[in-house]
Amino acid sequence: MTVDATYLVQLTLNGIALGLLYALIAVGLSLIFGVMEIINFAHGELLMLGAFAMAFVLPVTGLLYWPALAAAILAIMLVGWAVYEVLLVRLRTDEFERSILITLGLSIILIHLMQYFFTATPRLVDTQYGFNGVEIGSIRITWTRVIGAGAALAAFAGLYLVLRYTQFGRAMRAIAQNREAALMVGIRPRVVARNAVVLAAGLCGLAGAAIAPIQLVTPYMGQFLIFKAFALVIIGGLGNIPGAIAAAIGLGLIESWIGGFFEIAWQEGAVFVIMIVVLFLRPDGLFKKGGMRVG
Amino acid sequence: MSAILEVSDLRKAYAGVHALDGVSFAVEAGSITGLIGPNGSGKSTAIDCISGFQKLDGGKVVLAGQDITGRVAHHIARTGLMRTFQTVRIYERLSLRDNLAIANQQFDAANWLDELLRTRRYRDAVEAAEKRARQLVELIGLQRYWEIETGILSYGQKKLVALAAALMPHPKVVVLDEPVAGVNPSRIREIEAALGELNRAGETFLIVEHNVEFITNLCHRVIVLDQGRKLAEGTAAAIHTDPRVLEAYLGMTPEMAEAEMRGAA
Amino acid sequence: MKLLAAPLASMVAALLLAALPLVTSSNYVIGIGLSALIFTVAAAALNLIYGYTGLLSFAQLGFWGIGGYATALTVVTFGGNFWWGLLWAALVNAVLAIVVGYPTLRTNRHAFVIVTLTFALLVTLIARDWVSLTRGPLGIPNLPAPEAFGHRFAGTAQFYWVAWAFSVAMLGFLYALCSSRIGRTLVAIKQNEPLVRAQGIAPVPYKLAAFAISAAITGAAGGVYCFHLGIIDPLFLDFYYMQTFLIIVIIGGAGSFWGVVVAGVVMSALPELLRFSEDLRMVIYGAILVVAMFVMPSGVAGWLRERQLLRMREHVR
Repeated sequence: MTVDATYLVQLTLNGIALGLLYALIAVGLSLIFGVMEIINFAHGELLMLGAFAMAFVLPVTGLLYWPALAAAILAIMLVGWAVYEVLLVRLRTDEFERSILITLGLSIILIHLMQYFFTATPRLVDTQYGFNGVEIGSIRITWTRVIGAGAALAAFAGLYLVLRYTQFGRAMRAIAQNREAALMVGIRPRVVARNAVVLAAGLCGLAGAAIAPIQLVTPYMGQFLIFKAFALVIIGGLGNIPGAIAAAIGLGLIESWIGGFFEIAWQEGAVFVIMIVVLFLRPDGLFKKGGMRVG
Repeated sequence: MSAILEVSDLRKAYAGVHALDGVSFAVEAGSITGLIGPNGSGKSTAIDCISGFQKLDGGKVVLAGQDITGRVAHHIARTGLMRTFQTVRIYERLSLRDNLAIANQQFDAANWLDELLRTRRYRDAVEAAEKRARQLVELIGLQRYWEIETGILSYGQKKLVALAAALMPHPKVVVLDEPVAGVNPSRIREIEAALGELNRAGETFLIVEHNVEFITNLCHRVIVLDQGRKLAEGTAAAIHTDPRVLEAYLGMTPEMAEAEMRGAA
Repeated sequence: MKLLAAPLASMVAALLLAALPLVTSSNYVIGIGLSALIFTVAAAALNLIYGYTGLLSFAQLGFWGIGGYATALTVVTFGGNFWWGLLWAALVNAVLAIVVGYPTLRTNRHAFVIVTLTFALLVTLIARDWVSLTRGPLGIPNLPAPEAFGHRFAGTAQFYWVAWAFSVAMLGFLYALCSSRIGRTLVAIKQNEPLVRAQGIAPVPYKLAAFAISAAITGAAGGVYCFHLGIIDPLFLDFYYMQTFLIIVIIGGAGSFWGVVVAGVVMSALPELLRFSEDLRMVIYGAILVVAMFVMPSGVAGWLRERQLLRMREHVR
C-alpha cells in the first residue's frame, strides 16, 4: 500500500485542529481540578451551550463570525459563574465523588432541558465563511477550521500569560501547588476558584462556538467529547495544563491517522487503550503530577 | 534478653536533606524503648520506614530474626509489628467492637471461604477475638462504648482505642507514635499505668514521644535522635543528665532541666 | 430480635414480590416489577463497590452492556443457552474488571472514577461500531425465551419468575458478602486505608475482588434484562441506566444494604407514576441527584443513622 503524501498531510492538519479542540476542554478541566480538586462533569454541556449560543447569535449578527464568537464565550462564562456560585461553592476540596455526582446531575438537567425546548434534531450552523477555505497545493481546509485552530492557539497563549504574569494567575498556581501556604499568605480560595471556573467555562465556550460551524450541533454533543477530555486529563497528569495540551494534540493526531486508515471503532478506542497503557507504565500520568505548571 | 527488633544504618533523604543518616538501635524483647528527639530529628521517619509506610534508601530492619527491610506495610504487620499513628487513626464509623475485631482478623486461621460460609473455624476465631477485645476494652476502661461508633469518643479515648487495636493480635512489637500528645494530663497517667501493666504482662513497646516525663517514667531504655543521627542511648536517668541531649533537645542546661522536672512533678 | 427483623422482612417482601404475576395479568405492571428487581440488583452491585468500598465506578454501565451482549451472543451466535450466557456474562465482566481495575487501583481514586467513566463510553462505541460482532446500531432482535427443565419461560409473566429467582439469589449473595467480615473490611478500607495496611490487611486484593464481583453481578443482571426486552442494541448502553443505578444508591444510602434495596424497588416504580415526557423525567432525575447530594449526601439510610447516632451521643454523655 502506498501512502498518498497529500492525504497524510490532510490527516495531520485535521488531527491538529481536532487536538486543539480537545485541549480547550481538557485544559479547563485541569484548571478546575488544579484549584478545587474536583471534576466538572457538566463541562461537556458548557461546550454544548457554547455551540447553541453560537447557533442562536449568528443569525442575529447577520452571520458575522467574530461578534457571535465573543457573545458565545461571554455567555458561557456567565453560565460558569452561576454554576460556581450556586453549586460548586458548597463543595470542600476532599469531596471529589460528591463533585462528580452533583455536576453529573447538572449535566443531565442541561442536556434534557435543551432537548425538551430545542429537540434533538441536529442543527447545521452557517457563518459568513460558509464552506469557503484556503487551498495550499492540493490541500484544502475550510476557514472555520483555520479560525477555530487559530483561536484555540490564541487562547492558550492568553492563558499562559494570565497564569504566568497576572496577580490572579499567580494566586491560582499558588493554590494548586500548596493550598495551606497559599491560605496563609492571604489568598482567598473562593475568589480564585470562581475565577478558575469562569476561565475554564470561557475556554469551553470558545471550543463550543468554534466547533458549531464545523460539526452538527445537538444537545448530546458535549457527552462524547467530555469522556475523551477526562481521559486526556488522566494521560497528561491530573491538574497538569501543558500535559493536558500535549496529550490532547497527540490524541487528535493519532485519532486522525487511525481514522484515515482503519475502521472507526479503532479510532474511538485509541484513547482508552492509551490511557490504560499510560496508567500501567506511569501511574501519575505521562507528565509529572502535582502543582499547576505553566511552561 | 535478646533484641526482638534490630535496625541498622537506616538512611532516608528527601530532596537531598538527610532525614535519617545512619541510625542503628535495637529493641529488647519485653522492654519499653523510647525514641525521642526534637522536631525534624527523624523519629517519625524512622518508624514510618520500619513499619513499611515509607521506603528506605538504605539500611536493614530485622524483626524476630526475619529481615523485613523494604517489605510493604501489611506484610510487616503480619510479621508481628503493629503501630499507631501520630494523628489518631481508627475507624470512626464502626463500633469499638468492630474496630478491635478488624485489627485481629488477619491473624487468625479463618480464610475468606470460612468467612462467607460462617464455618466453625470462623466462629471460633471470632469468639477468641471477642474475648481478647473484651479484656483490652476493660484495660482501657471503655466498656460502656462497646457497641458504639468510635467517632463520638473524645480525642484521648480515640488514642486508647488505637492502642487497644494495635495490641489485639499479640504482636511481637508495638510501635506507638506519640501516644499521649494532645491528651489531657489525668488521662496520660491512665495510659502510663496501662502501658506499664501490659509491659509486665510481656508486651514490647517502642514509643516515640515528646513528653519527657512520660518517657522517663516508662522507658527502660531511651534513644535520642538529632538531625537524622543517634545522639545518645541509655537509661532514662542517664539520658536526662547527658549534656548533649539537653542542649540539642531541650535547649537548656542541666540545672534548668532539673528545675523543670521539679516543676512538672 | 432487631437483628432478625431486616432479613425476615426481606423474606416476606421477596415472597410477596414472587406472587406479582398471580395478582395482576397486566404485562405492563409485571414489566415494572421485573425492572425494579433487576435494577435493584445492579444498584446493590454498585453499592458494593461505591457504598462499601468507596470507589465510584461508572464502569457498571459498561458491565451491564457487555453482560447483555455476552448473553445474547452466546444464545444467538454461539449456539449456547441462556444460562450459559449469564455465566459467560459474569465471567467476562469479572476478568475485564480485573484487567481495568489492576492498573487503575494502583493510582488514586480520582483516576479510578475517570477510567471507569471512559470504559463505559468505550463499550458504547464498540457496541455501535464493531458491526461484525454486535450488528451495530440495528442490534440483535428476537432474543428467544429461556428454557429450564423442559419449561419455556415465554412472555413477561413467565420470564418474571426467572428475573425474580435471579434477583433473590444475587441479593442473598450480596447480603452474605456485605454482612460478613469481608464487607466490614471493605468499609474499613474506605474509612482509613493506612490503618488497614498497618493491621496486616492488603487493600488492593479486596478492592479488586469487590470490583470483579460487582462487575460480574451487573453483567448477569444486564443479561437477564435484555432477554426481558427481547432485543439488545447500543441503546442498552444509554447513560440513563447508569443514572438510575446511581440515584438508587444515593437516595437509599451508599453503604447501607437494605436502604439501597428498598430504594431500588421504590425508585424503579416511581418514575412510571410520573407520566411526564421522557426529557422532563430526566430533568427531575438530575434535580433529585443534585438536591440529594446537598440535603442528604448519605441517603435516607444515612440520614436515619445520623439521627440515631445523635440520640446515642446524648445518651452516652
